[in-house]
Amino acid sequence: MNKRLFFIFLLGAVLLSGCWSKKELTDLALVAGLGIEKNEEGKYVGTIQVVNPGNVAEGQQGGGSGQGPPVSVYSATGDNIIEASRELSTKVSRRLYYAHTNLVVIDEQLAREEGITKILDAMDRDPEFRVTTTVIIAHGVKAGDIMKALTPIDKIPSSKIIKTLKFTEESWGEHLNVNIKEVINALTSSGKEPLITGFHLIGDHDEAKKMESIQQTAPAATIQTNGLAVFKEGKLIGWIHGEAAKGSVWILDRIKRTNVTINWKEEKGAISYQVMRQKTNISARMQDGQPIITVEVRAEGDIGEVIVPIDLTDPHVFLEIEKGAEEEIKKEIEQAVQEAKEYKSDVFGFGEAVRRLDPDAWETLKAEWDDRHFPELQVEVKVDAFVRRSGLRNKSFLSQTEENR
Amino acid sequence: MEKAKISAYQLFVLVLLFELGSALILPLAIGAKQDAWLAILLGMIGGGGIFLMYDRLFRFYPDILPTEYVQKIIGKTLGRILAFFYLLYFAYIAARIMRDFGVMLVTFAYPDTPLFIINALLVIVVVYTVHKGVEVLARSGELLFVLIVVVAVAGFILVLVSGLIDPSNLKPVLEERISSVLKVTLTETLYFPFGETVVFAMLLPYLNHPFKARKIGLLAIGLSGVILASVMAINISVLGVSLTSRSQFPLLTTIQMIQVAEFLERLDIFFMLTLVVAGFFKISILLYAVVTGTANLFQIENPSRLAYPIGLVILILSVTIASNFAEHLQEGLQLVPVFLHIPFQIVIPLFLLTLAFLKTKRKQGQ
Repeated sequence: MNKRLFFIFLLGAVLLSGCWSKKELTDLALVAGLGIEKNEEGKYVGTIQVVNPGNVAEGQQGGGSGQGPPVSVYSATGDNIIEASRELSTKVSRRLYYAHTNLVVIDEQLAREEGITKILDAMDRDPEFRVTTTVIIAHGVKAGDIMKALTPIDKIPSSKIIKTLKFTEESWGEHLNVNIKEVINALTSSGKEPLITGFHLIGDHDEAKKMESIQQTAPAATIQTNGLAVFKEGKLIGWIHGEAAKGSVWILDRIKRTNVTINWKEEKGAISYQVMRQKTNISARMQDGQPIITVEVRAEGDIGEVIVPIDLTDPHVFLEIEKGAEEEIKKEIEQAVQEAKEYKSDVFGFGEAVRRLDPDAWETLKAEWDDRHFPELQVEVKVDAFVRRSGLRNKSFLSQTEENR
Repeated sequence: MEKAKISAYQLFVLVLLFELGSALILPLAIGAKQDAWLAILLGMIGGGGIFLMYDRLFRFYPDILPTEYVQKIIGKTLGRILAFFYLLYFAYIAARIMRDFGVMLVTFAYPDTPLFIINALLVIVVVYTVHKGVEVLARSGELLFVLIVVVAVAGFILVLVSGLIDPSNLKPVLEERISSVLKVTLTETLYFPFGETVVFAMLLPYLNHPFKARKIGLLAIGLSGVILASVMAINISVLGVSLTSRSQFPLLTTIQMIQVAEFLERLDIFFMLTLVVAGFFKISILLYAVVTGTANLFQIENPSRLAYPIGLVILILSVTIASNFAEHLQEGLQLVPVFLHIPFQIVIPLFLLTLAFLKTKRKQGQ
């Protein structure tokens, strides 16, 4: 009798478990990305990108008529993020499912006027939403327009943005793939401010929403990275681009592979030095009661291209190139520090380094760090670059052509 | 007291699982910020000292349960009242642990399921095990300990491989002075989880080699302290102090950060289920202590039958002790140490030990 009871109990446990709050896949709307902006009335507008599973698969096989777009975009307003998200249910036929949301797009205007501090709590707190979700800023374009633009190759625009960001960070190094956790950690730290990558939509915003846009070789509009947003006290105060942006990524030790262009004598952009791996250390020391920051970079790499006839069998030439690369990297880093100082925003966490070195001194420096101490901070940059190899060839064929012989 | 014996290794596993129990999931000693690991290690040393006290008492009366020897030390009536209060204390702690785990499950995995149902399912398993007796409890501990070790090692490797650990988050050491670390030690880690080994006074008489109790207990407390300190250090180095202190369950938040090779991610559910195993042992040990103690106190012949009613009491307690999780934590951090842990873990045992010591001395004198 007891055994039978036990068996029934076991059967119940096996068959009934998981039924309590079951969610059928056909009842879920997979939200790929979330855009947040503010309208004229001061309400938040949440724009979500919902995946159309059938159309994604169709598009990848290339068959069928493929009329439908791979994602559908909906917007709703609310006084806070959760309210906007709940109001979206009036428009979407399924339960919104945020566990696979990989991207949050914050509107530039919202970030400038109100700051990003108020919108992040919902994403930090919700168990479905992950704090490893990537955050970007819509630069010079409405967050909603970025969400609505269709993209070729990677059919779901949110994953296109994330992949672009990931690969450009790895191979070019002017942008940062930051997630919600990193942004919040920077916001809560007294000696660090966040840096968030901006994305721009180049082309016709209205055409970008239509399927015709991606049925041509050149889409009507392309979503492209555009600068790093500098924050201060949670508000966006400006952008850094180009070399300074790359210098910032160097300081944050996030460069994986990048290209450093070196001049050779009179020839501009003569040698391309490809960084393969690097390590950057930030250390602080106190001198006469004032902190001094040292940024030490150690980079290793190969020669990618030379357009001058130089002899790459000669180790001395390697040394020359190394020197050139060191100067170039140093220039980028110094430019980044310069721009951050102009914005009076310690985006590199130099303050954190001081705090870790000397908590007592930090207590007195903390209050005026960004406005007074950081802009006057002495930053020493030391770069060690090593050229390891020169690819498949030693001398360039240029040194054997008629004119150079 | 049932006729059962547990081996030294089984006791070791039980103490270890008991210590890890709910301490592993909560932001333990986060009041000491990045020095939480230090506060835990100091708590461990203090906890070892407290355990020596319980062990000394056990050596005076190696064959009988504490519920019986308090009667010998301070007299029948008073001893019975005190023993009864101890049973209430164990039941209350069991309910608290159950609440911790129930809330964790609801928050992370079952948002639509009522807390009562989750706790009820847990209590069914606990009651079943306790009903089967201490040997079954010890043997299942041996078995499941292997699973926990495997998952813990896997988790550690995954966190390491993900490159999440940033040791600079642990610096500067002693930013807030040693006094604040000591404060956290003396108000939190000393009692939770280390002082809670007082419940093992109820289990020590089952040990097959009583003289091993001291070594085994200290070893298990030491290992659990090192594990808890390193887990908290990893949490802080992965999440940073601010996120760790904001997290209700920092270990699971750390696990959520794991992203290896594009597909090994969102593993928190696996780890959550393993953590429940540790919680199951902590609750079972406490319930067993209440059951066997009650049987001993009221001279009930078949103690295992008590598992059902007392399990039901703990289940109801676990849902009703606080109206929300914030209240539950506040009570646990501010009221329970002062009004329950200090008297039951330190003051009363110390008092009993002194009396027992004087008693035996007088006997020897005669």
